Amino acid sequence: MNPLQYLGQLSSMLRVPLMVMLLMAVASIVLSERVLTRLSQNQETYLTALASSYLDGIAASVSPSVVHQDSWEIFDILTRMKPQKATIYAQETVVTDAKNIVLASDIPDVHPTLGQMDPKFGMEFEEEMRLDTVSQLAFAARSIRHNEEIIGKVYVVFDASSLLKERREVLQTLILTNIGLAVLLAAIGFFVVRRMVLPMQILERHLLKAASGGLEFISDVEYPKANREAKRIFGAFNQLVGAEKEREGLVDRLTKEERLASLGRIASGMAHEINNPLGGLLNAADTLKKHGHQEKVRLETVDLIKRGLLGIRDVVQAALVTYRPQRSSRVFTLKDLTDISLLLRSDLGSRAQELKILPVPFDKVFDDLPAGPIRQAIMNLVLNASNASPHGCEIVLSISQSKEGTHLEVKDIAEGLPDDAGEILTAPLKSGIPDGMSGLGLWVVRQIADELGATLSVKPNIPKGTIIAIDIPRRSGEMIHAAA
Amino acid sequence: MTSSNKITLRTRRTFMLSSAMFLLATSNALSQSQTSTTIRFGLTPVFLNDDIHLLSVIKNYLESATGYSVELVTRRTYQEVTSLLVSGQIDAAWICGYPFVKFQNELDLLAVPEWNGEPLYQSYLITKFDREASKLADLKGDIHAFSDPDSNSGYLVTKALLQENGLSAESFFKKTLFTYSHRNVIRAVASGLVQSGSVDGYVWEVIREIDPDLVAGTKIVRKSDWFGFPPIAVSKRFAQTKKVNALKLAFLSSSEAEAGRAMLDYLRLTGFVNAKPALYDSVKRNVDRLGALL
Repeated sequence: MNPLQYLGQLSSMLRVPLMVMLLMAVASIVLSERVLTRLSQNQETYLTALASSYLDGIAASVSPSVVHQDSWEIFDILTRMKPQKATIYAQETVVTDAKNIVLASDIPDVHPTLGQMDPKFGMEFEEEMRLDTVSQLAFAARSIRHNEEIIGKVYVVFDASSLLKERREVLQTLILTNIGLAVLLAAIGFFVVRRMVLPMQILERHLLKAASGGLEFISDVEYPKANREAKRIFGAFNQLVGAEKEREGLVDRLTKEERLASLGRIASGMAHEINNPLGGLLNAADTLKKHGHQEKVRLETVDLIKRGLLGIRDVVQAALVTYRPQRSSRVFTLKDLTDISLLLRSDLGSRAQELKILPVPFDKVFDDLPAGPIRQAIMNLVLNASNASPHGCEIVLSISQSKEGTHLEVKDIAEGLPDDAGEILTAPLKSGIPDGMSGLGLWVVRQIADELGATLSVKPNIPKGTIIAIDIPRRSGEMIHAAA
Repeated sequence: MTSSNKITLRTRRTFMLSSAMFLLATSNALSQSQTSTTIRFGLTPVFLNDDIHLLSVIKNYLESATGYSVELVTRRTYQEVTSLLVSGQIDAAWICGYPFVKFQNELDLLAVPEWNGEPLYQSYLITKFDREASKLADLKGDIHAFSDPDSNSGYLVTKALLQENGLSAESFFKKTLFTYSHRNVIRAVASGLVQSGSVDGYVWEVIREIDPDLVAGTKIVRKSDWFGFPPIAVSKRFAQTKKVNALKLAFLSSSEAEAGRAMLDYLRLTGFVNAKPALYDSVKRNVDRLGALL
């Protein structure tokens, strides 16, 4: 992985100190390089000036002796002028004549008097002073002039180890200081960023909790030392939480009110459905009262009363099927399918329709599915299909099981499901029940499917009709009972 | 008149004027020297005349013993001190036997130091301590250090020895040089600046005691015969003056006074004695032998 990408993936609390350390390292390298370069230049300037002064002194002092070729005088001058306790001292000084014959050296054993100067030694010297960092020596030479004529040359080798030692010490000091500073700044960066990020972390924790449904206020206890900015953010978040909680409360209240209104509408609808035959029944009762002695009239009136009562029974039965609270927590069995078939026979029979269950289930228990909600869902779907289908047609209920769960399908050959009805099943759920009585059955199916964690799907039944399917995932018994 | 003649004439006039001024200065100096209450005592590198403490010891003793204030006069070369002595600008001087012989007609002996109980010393031929050399012939081709052209032990003896062997310093040695001090001869040899040197045996032995590291760098190749120790001399003209007599008495009685003994101890001498000029006959023989070569 690219180191920069890796750095980018670290948390701010680590990334910032690391970046501080990296920046400090870069700054240290640049700074150290500049300091050492400047130090080297200063040292070389100093050394050049020192060498120049020393060479000038030597050249001026030995000049008369070089003219007289007086080796002793030159030697005496060299030994007397040699600094004994200097940090940078002349390690070796050689005075030659114009022909490079050694007149005297302060180390005569190395440079014998009146011998030709060692060419290798002579090659160490250049026009300007030269500092050799390997041998830690500096080489400088100066011509000795007398009456504008070069009569000899002074060669001096300086021990520059103290200067180079100083450079090493400066470098060590720079490295140690910069490491110390980098660590210190990184630590400060760590604590500062930690302090800066802490409010964000608290906010992040609350946001994540809110996303999973646990919307909570940020209390002062959580961050007692919040700075002004953090307090402002927390205040804004708390205002948001307050507004959301208020909205939730409002929605709850509205839902309850809407439920009550729905109940009113249902009651009103039922009253309307019962009121129609009831009017006829009352008329029939009056007719019986007045003309009950006439057999024909009596039989017709009784038949009318029976039909009116049957209509009321249908309405009550439909209400019972639809809204009766399921108190039983028993599991869905083969018998429930028989019950469904029996319960729906009257409705389907009035339209000369037939419910076909395919294939005929061989198992008596369906994955511990709760009997109540499944029965209600199937009946609602079949009644819906029945209402939409023409007389005399067949409605097919399929039920199958697999590793994933249970698959239920209700097929009809109707004109197709209206869009708003389809939306009730598949669109994101709206709070509250739908307006009016239409779609109430499907809304109940949707509620049941959501409680079971099932998926509803609507697709056309080729060549004509609709297939509504429920896929109920295999779940633990505990969850199923909870749904029931 | 040509330009060269003009120059010659001018040079002569300048010389005459200079000579007149020198004589005037000399006569002034003479009168001042002999009438003042200060003894001007000259010192040469026949001993360690660069030892400041030793000079103060000598000065203190001579002042206490003579009752005069003493001014010690040092110069770089024997010749300079000898000139001052002969010209009467100083009252007395500790010079070498060779200048004494050279100016025997102008100088008298005041006192002669005794070293190891004898007023005698030797000249040493020395070389570097680690060199395989045990005789004069081994030093052939050396760069050789002499002490002073007016030194007996540091020049004359070696010149005479070479002459005895039918040699000359110029041909025998690659090069010779003067260091104008016996200590410097030892330094030059010990450092390797030169390969050999002629040195005062007394000075070499004394330095061996007080600065053994320096002498350890050298070794003796040859010791000469014994010669009269470098004397304290006085101009014959002032040999009997009160100051000079006081000075003579001070040297001769130095071993009797505590300050005198301190001086003698410092100099590693046993005392000062009266001596005849004949003590320096051996030096004179060398001078005579070398004659025009000097």
